Amino acid sequence: MSSITLTERRKLRAQGLTASGLIGPATFIVALGVLGPLLLLARYSLNLYDPRELMISAFSAQNYIEFFSDTYYLSTFWTTIRISLLCTVICIVLGFPLAYVLARTQSRYKNLMIIGVVIPLFVGNAVRAAGWMTLLGSRGFLSVWLMRLGITDEPVEIMYSETAVVLGIVAVNLPYMVLTLQSVIESIGRHIEEAAFSLGAAPMVMFRRVLWPLALPGTTAGVILTFILAMNAYATPVLLGGPEFRMMSPMIYNQFQLNNWPFSAAVAFVLMASTLVLTVLAGIMTRQKFRD
Amino acid sequence: MTALSRRHLGRWTLNAAAMLSFLYLSIPLIFVTWLSFYRQEIPSYPPEGYSLRWYSAAIANERFIDAFATSAKVGILATIIGLAVALPAALALNRYRFFGHAALGNLLLMPLIVPGIVLGFALYVFQVETEIATGLPIMGSFGGLVFGHVLLVIPWTVRLILASLAGFDRTLEEAAMNLGAGRLTTFRRVTMPSILPGIVAGALFGFVSSFGNLEMSLFLVAPGETTLPIAILQYLQWRIDPTIAAISVLQILIIAVALLVTDRFVKLSRVV
Repeated sequence: MSSITLTERRKLRAQGLTASGLIGPATFIVALGVLGPLLLLARYSLNLYDPRELMISAFSAQNYIEFFSDTYYLSTFWTTIRISLLCTVICIVLGFPLAYVLARTQSRYKNLMIIGVVIPLFVGNAVRAAGWMTLLGSRGFLSVWLMRLGITDEPVEIMYSETAVVLGIVAVNLPYMVLTLQSVIESIGRHIEEAAFSLGAAPMVMFRRVLWPLALPGTTAGVILTFILAMNAYATPVLLGGPEFRMMSPMIYNQFQLNNWPFSAAVAFVLMASTLVLTVLAGIMTRQKFRD
Repeated sequence: MTALSRRHLGRWTLNAAAMLSFLYLSIPLIFVTWLSFYRQEIPSYPPEGYSLRWYSAAIANERFIDAFATSAKVGILATIIGLAVALPAALALNRYRFFGHAALGNLLLMPLIVPGIVLGFALYVFQVETEIATGLPIMGSFGGLVFGHVLLVIPWTVRLILASLAGFDRTLEEAAMNLGAGRLTTFRRVTMPSILPGIVAGALFGFVSSFGNLEMSLFLVAPGETTLPIAILQYLQWRIDPTIAAISVLQILIIAVALLVTDRFVKLSRVV
């Protein structure tokens, strides 16, 4: 500190004051609205539930133990993870070709195509669920055509099933994957592909040996994003899975409505912690693979 | 097969696969739009005919009009407040190096990462405790709902304004100040106009994410009150018919227009 003069120090302090004045209000709002409430919720999750008193102040891991020792809650937990993994894999498979075409196209409609990908992203999940309900219902488009084509004799009910939920979540998350992959592919120069081709590589070989390894680090970002979104899905499982179908976010809300706040809070933290652990694992795994 | 024809085949397969994904994304929007034009009320295929009457039914539905008005009011207010705090925050993050710089930058993006249901629940219990502690009527209040939505707007606006600040040439500011402009004039006449695209895009994205928010609002609305996404969810849990489809189509149109407007300011491919 002695190496800088007093005036420099004053200037630095003035800058620090300006900076904190500028960033202060936003920080205050987010800290008050996110950090504070999350800490309070964490405290709630250690309390106990009583049917008459609703919540008893305590300091116990009872809610967490109950969650992990009850097959009912555990099956919800595993269903959520299974569906999220499945949806993420499908998103990569469906997303890569579209992202590639969007990244490489010279078409003047490129921007319009991107808007076509972004609009579904911002149209609420409930609205999109309504579209799936029209398509998948027992008297909907798909069922009627399956009968007309003689594939089935009776109306098929695809609604209120795991299939419907997976279809719905993939449609919700696919735009995120496509947009992430598109920017990743755009950052990989076209000439690298051309080099592979001119050395005689077939398209699949080029993809496997050149494009995919180069795109992998960026792809991880898309994978993590879509996985998190699937883990947190609420409207899609509620509307397309029906009341019998269970995933974590709907369970948090249901337990809340049943007035069991401590348990609901514990489920919330199980959801966030497991999502965090799995995304960190995914990050480590790709980094190791990348090093090989 | 020659290498060239293999590449043509590859190209063709690729385009077909891309079209398929694009179609998949559009399917829900196509079908909900189609349903909104059915003549009969029951959503069974094939339609008996086509009609526009569900649109007039949708516009006449008071529950949905109220919900729409609430969503619009909350969205506009939250966007204005969010913008007012996010713009200075983005400037600070861009211009100054200070202790905890990276941590604060991440903190401001946090509302996007916490699951919507968890954030809503946490805010709810926080409001309960604050109301008990202070006696102020916070729970289910309009102010409480707007506060929650400001949290949704901040990450989008900070992110997009930061992006446009990164591309801004600061020597322009020095030039203006050398020519005698004060700090405020420089900001108003030089900095503002060049980062305006980022501000507009941030505001529109913030508004759209507030307008479409479902999970958090579920916890924060007063009993009997709804926002548009909640009204749509509750209706769909009960039944699906052309009226709700027409309402959905109106929402799709509003968002499409908002995005097309945004696209005129900033290329969407660069900000999402």
